[in-house]
Amino acid sequence: MLDVDHITFSYGARRILTDITFDVAPGEIIAVTGRNGAGKTTLMKILACLLMQDAGTVRLQGIDALRRPVKYRRGIGYLSEHSPLYSDMTVEEYLTYRVRLKGERALRVRRRVSETLAASGLSGMQDTRIRLLSHGYRKRVSLADALSTHPKLLLLDDLLAGLDRPQRKACAAALAAASSRASVVVTGHEIDEMLDWCTRVMVLDGGRIAALFRTSDFERAELTERIDRLLAGPPGGKEAPA
Amino acid sequence: MKAIQVIWLREIRAFRGAFSCGVPVAAFLAVYGWTFVMTLRNNEGSVLQIQSIWGLSAAPWLPILSAVLTMRLFAEERATGMIDLLMSAPIRERDLVLGKFFSAMTVMAVTLGLSLLVPTLLLPALSAPLLTPASAAAIAATALILLLQASAWCAAGTMISVLFRNQAAAAVSSLIVCSALPIAVYAAILTWMPGLRAQVAWMPLLVHVYDFSTGLFSTAVIALYVAATLFFLFACSKLLALLRLRG
Repeated sequence: MLDVDHITFSYGARRILTDITFDVAPGEIIAVTGRNGAGKTTLMKILACLLMQDAGTVRLQGIDALRRPVKYRRGIGYLSEHSPLYSDMTVEEYLTYRVRLKGERALRVRRRVSETLAASGLSGMQDTRIRLLSHGYRKRVSLADALSTHPKLLLLDDLLAGLDRPQRKACAAALAAASSRASVVVTGHEIDEMLDWCTRVMVLDGGRIAALFRTSDFERAELTERIDRLLAGPPGGKEAPA
Repeated sequence: MKAIQVIWLREIRAFRGAFSCGVPVAAFLAVYGWTFVMTLRNNEGSVLQIQSIWGLSAAPWLPILSAVLTMRLFAEERATGMIDLLMSAPIRERDLVLGKFFSAMTVMAVTLGLSLLVPTLLLPALSAPLLTPASAAAIAATALILLLQASAWCAAGTMISVLFRNQAAAAVSSLIVCSALPIAVYAAILTWMPGLRAQVAWMPLLVHVYDFSTGLFSTAVIALYVAATLFFLFACSKLLALLRLRG
């Protein structure tokens, strides 16, 4: 589904990502973790076509992100790190705007928005102004936006940051439902929670893949310990990919 | 086309409730009204026609209005981070730019329409015996040149808005590009290159307004404004694409 091949990216002379290669199969949820500044958000921005890599390719179902950007972007749903929204709109107006912007046919817009509101647990809040929403609900509206057009690839940057436990559970439920028809790449530091629903974990360190674990290959405690060891160790430490 | 319409509608909505729209439009109408009255008074007994007075009173304030209207178009999106969501949507940069540009132009057109109430309704009602009403063709010609100038200013403002996260900085830069820079270049040419005087004699923007309002059409002038608008819009979409290079 998603093929990331030898991605390298620098801001000026500062190398942010080096030789990132991985793939994500349909229905798979891959969690990307790492220290602050490890390159998680930069990687997500490259996958979302917001940054252009210096070298390497990103392909979604064979569609190259640089050669056919509009078609590539049609297949993705992106949740930005800070969940920006238009505060003057209601939840329903915002989702309608976004669904239309993503090119959904006029006849389907209403249905898509209702489905998305229901799937994201926002059904009772469609008429609420976004400026009145708490951080958690803003994040859920952003998640609803990312899910709205049934993308093939979901890119969720720092999905769980700043959410309380019920909100995290609600997000996880929405994500589990979405993963039946999409591949998911999600970043964050909440590794304990992400291990509940992800199929693989990628640890980024200093812009490189330090480890890529399949969760089914390890006992949970062992996997957590390995990840903790990588995150606690000196930058540049590497574990053989599983 | 659909994406342009969606963005246009969103921006019109944002303009409707924005402090950065109502106040500048009201201020524009106030200073325009004052300029109109002063021009009318100063030209008492002259042959200046009413549509010319309208055009000459509105044109000097258009760069300022366009700078204030366009400052938020991209600067606000960049400040809030919404630009990421717009750029990750399956739309071309060109559609994004055009949607925003047309929204600013819509506000401009409505504002110019409101300013037209003074010479067409208000003034004849107040001093009917003194004025002969302007013909529709003359008013249309004046509106055309004002809209052409407004489109160039709005396109420049839209492009400059991409460069900033701070709206005030975008507005000041637009003002410099749209008003101070042409005036400075013109003054510099007149001062230091007197040989070029004849070539730039047509440059003053008010001359264009006056010519069009009196029926002196020039395709070169139309081409100039259309080319300037297209250039700024093209540059704007390329700048947006450049954001993908370095964030």
